[in-house]
Amino acid sequence: MRRLLSDAGSDDGTPVTTAVSPAGVAFDPAGPWQRARSVALRPEPFGALVYHFGNRKLSFLKSKTLVAVVEALAEHPSASATLVACGVTEAQRPAYEKALADLARSQMIERRTDA
Amino acid sequence: MPETHTDVDAAPAPAAEETLVEESLVEEVSIDGMCGVY
Repeated sequence: MRRLLSDAGSDDGTPVTTAVSPAGVAFDPAGPWQRARSVALRPEPFGALVYHFGNRKLSFLKSKTLVAVVEALAEHPSASATLVACGVTEAQRPAYEKALADLARSQMIERRTDA
Repeated sequence: MPETHTDVDAAPAPAAEETLVEESLVEEVSIDGMCGVY
């Protein structure tokens, strides 16, 4: 976690202004996404655990709606469409887009190339 | 005579989803260094 936080800035302390991080790719809500193929998702009472077998990162998804979103990403043309389909309201949307951006950065979700 | 407290107003609990949305929906945990755990 400490390393991830330090990745958010450059070595000289200058803040990085782009959403791209060294670990993952920039999250574009208008693009097609899917749960990464190297990721296992285990449902839990609070939401789900996701584990990436490649980078060995573990994350908690702390909302069952977010779990549904991650599972449904592959069925929709964009992440935005997935959020709508899963009933995420406009008020909730920023938090869910941030969550998906976090998951993209840690490579838990990946951009689809077949759309 | 034992004193009873029946006049305490219970504040309505906020909707669970609202509470969740205010905090991060994703929490990353590092498992590096958990030797012997996995």
